[in-house]
Amino acid sequence: MIAIENLVKQYGAFTAVDGISLEVRPGEIHGFLGPNGAGKTTTLRMIAGLLQPTAGRVIVNGHDLAVEPEAAKGSLGFVPDRPFIYEKLTAGEFLRFHGGLFGLDGNGITARVHEMLDLFELRRWEDELVESFSHGMKQRLVMSAAFLHRPRAMVVDEPMVGLDPRGARLVKDVFRRMSERGVSILMSTHTLEVAEEMSHRISIIHKGRIIAQGTVDEVRRLAGGGDDHFTAVFLKLTGGGGLQEIDEIV
Amino acid sequence: MQAPFTFLLLPSLWASRNRARRRERGDLLRAGLFGAVGVGVCAALFSGAYWLTTQLTAYAEFGDYLLRLGLSWLFLTFLAFLAFSGVVTALSTFFLSEDLRLLLAAPIPAGRLFLARFTRTVGQASWMVVMFVTPVLVGIGAARCAPPGFYVAAVLTVLPFAMIPVAVGTAATLLLVNVLPARRARDILMLVSLAFAATLVLMLRFMQPERLLRVESLPDVAGFFATLQSPVTPLLPSFWAGEALFAVLQGGQDLLHGAALWTTALACTVLLGAADRRWHFAGYSRAQEAPKARVNQLRVIDGLARVLPLSAVRRQLLIKDVKVFLRDVSQWLQLLPLLALVLLYLYNFRALDLDRVPYMSGFIKNVYALVNLAMAGFVLATVAVRFVFPAVSAEGDAFWVIRASPISLRDFLWSKFWTGLVPLLLFAEGLTIAANELMGVDPFLKVVAAVAVAFMTFALVGLAVGLGARYPRFGADPTQAAASYGGVAFMILAVLYIVVTIVLIGWPSSMWLFSRFRGVRLSTVRELLMAGSFAAAIALSLATWVYAMRSGVRALERLNK
Repeated sequence: MIAIENLVKQYGAFTAVDGISLEVRPGEIHGFLGPNGAGKTTTLRMIAGLLQPTAGRVIVNGHDLAVEPEAAKGSLGFVPDRPFIYEKLTAGEFLRFHGGLFGLDGNGITARVHEMLDLFELRRWEDELVESFSHGMKQRLVMSAAFLHRPRAMVVDEPMVGLDPRGARLVKDVFRRMSERGVSILMSTHTLEVAEEMSHRISIIHKGRIIAQGTVDEVRRLAGGGDDHFTAVFLKLTGGGGLQEIDEIV
Repeated sequence: MQAPFTFLLLPSLWASRNRARRRERGDLLRAGLFGAVGVGVCAALFSGAYWLTTQLTAYAEFGDYLLRLGLSWLFLTFLAFLAFSGVVTALSTFFLSEDLRLLLAAPIPAGRLFLARFTRTVGQASWMVVMFVTPVLVGIGAARCAPPGFYVAAVLTVLPFAMIPVAVGTAATLLLVNVLPARRARDILMLVSLAFAATLVLMLRFMQPERLLRVESLPDVAGFFATLQSPVTPLLPSFWAGEALFAVLQGGQDLLHGAALWTTALACTVLLGAADRRWHFAGYSRAQEAPKARVNQLRVIDGLARVLPLSAVRRQLLIKDVKVFLRDVSQWLQLLPLLALVLLYLYNFRALDLDRVPYMSGFIKNVYALVNLAMAGFVLATVAVRFVFPAVSAEGDAFWVIRASPISLRDFLWSKFWTGLVPLLLFAEGLTIAANELMGVDPFLKVVAAVAVAFMTFALVGLAVGLGARYPRFGADPTQAAASYGGVAFMILAVLYIVVTIVLIGWPSSMWLFSRFRGVRLSTVRELLMAGSFAAAIALSLATWVYAMRSGVRALERLNK
């Protein structure tokens, strides 16, 4: 379970995240949508413990991140938008190191690493340096690392970027299975079809505030969209229409 | 079970092992070259320390006094260096390092992360000092026939000695980052540390050790030693380290100062660890705010570029290159130590009264103009490898902008050449003319040196830009690019070029000077040979310049980036 309460992040006079609250229940995939610069990544980085909130609370699986950071992070998997991977390590070495960070001991780690490499179809490249990987392969490696320690909650920032259709399908399947086993997944994405297809509930953030929250149908109704394509609903809510102006400029 | 903090150091070790196993082109050449230079420097330091200590032994108690003072000064110099190195290194290891994004998202206890980062900071900040101090101490030990205990004591002294100033430097960084955004803090810290390094060099120089060479200044010697003694205070770890080692060198032990070193080092670590737990995350979080920092528009660059007779494409390339360079403070600040060395170099010519030394007057003094020319060449090569060679690599992931634009790669590369040439030409001419003026060399040689250094600048900048285009490292920062295979190849070729050019210019110049001093008239054949030698130097410079640039353009056109 992931819960955030009145979360605020200010950079000087600029408020990037302005008092947002949301809850991702066990087994729920929660789509976190918003235009560029809306505050999605800032929010996810605060939940992952990479940014200090100006105000508000983050609770991960019952652990307050500010009070029990190790317990909270230990039960969370995080896939950042710009992941860091040691380029001069092999895929196997990176996963073993990552497992060590989460307290996985030496006996079970090799089998678990192989499981994840098999799952994300990277076993052939176990002994290859990460620097030789394509963007999609790196993305799958980061996913392997995030799931390695069997987290009970996941925070995922733009998971489909750089993945080929097969990779994207694989990641969707993994997320669904994890969700069926009770893992809470908070997923930020710009691919509205993915959000619509996978999310049990969604939140739309705009200018640092949550402007819509609920199931896809609830959000659609909120926008008065009826049977509109979800992109149209999103644009209505975030004020990003402007087709008239585009015509004039072009 | 949580792994010990040393587990967090494993990626660096594994990465080094993997790099060693999977060598890239030029790795062996680079390792061989740097290894040879390293061994040479260590051998020179060992020999120097050995020779000096042996000389001091001849002066009995006064020699012991000087050795003791020398040890304290050695550690005092390193104390300041380590503190500033700690400040800059800690900024990277604790706040800006990329892997923190991975490590801070993991459930690692703060104390464990601190110990791993501090170990890394001490290692990175002090390895140069250790590399320097080891041959010096071994040289001193060998000269005094020190027992094996001296070498053990040296290790046990240098370790806590390095920890203390690095801990103080790290604490300063922790404080600063919590006040300023980290990236701004880095700019300020770089400025402060480089200004400090430059001041240290200049300060040592302005103490005027050459006074010792003058017989009439002997009454000042006592004052000179008083000056040396003044910064050596018993309250500093440098004094404790010097005393502890000197005692072992004398066959005794100084447990008091040894204990002072260790207890202070451990206390510093514990206190710093507590401060880190309290303020590190807040500081790291502030470090993420840097992109919001205000940007200097540098409109004056746009104005200057508009005045220059350049095509629109070249004007925009120039504006982009200059702005990118000036906005990255950490890049151009690296010029400060070089500037300090150049000032020192010029000051030497002013301070040294060469006419008092018989061998440095007349003929030899004029020949020194050629040494000066070679020095200018080496300084040029050093600046070029660091700032001009990475010019193409610096395009990085944005190189597609150039490739996708309707401009020729020839125009692009020549723009890089002119951007690098103008400042370096001004710098090289300034250095050469000023040094020759201060030395008072013959007017003929002044002209030869001024013309020669202009040709050398064209050749070296052309070589740097051309090789930079042949061996680009788009993913690397400028320092890494300069140390890459292409950078090393540039340095080797540049040194060869400088040596050949100096020979081609030096031979006819010295012949001319010789004939003038001796009043001998040169034969026509010899004059023709001398003219041919000058012409060969010019041809070599032009060929190096043009061939390197053409080869660079061809390489860029072949590049499938």
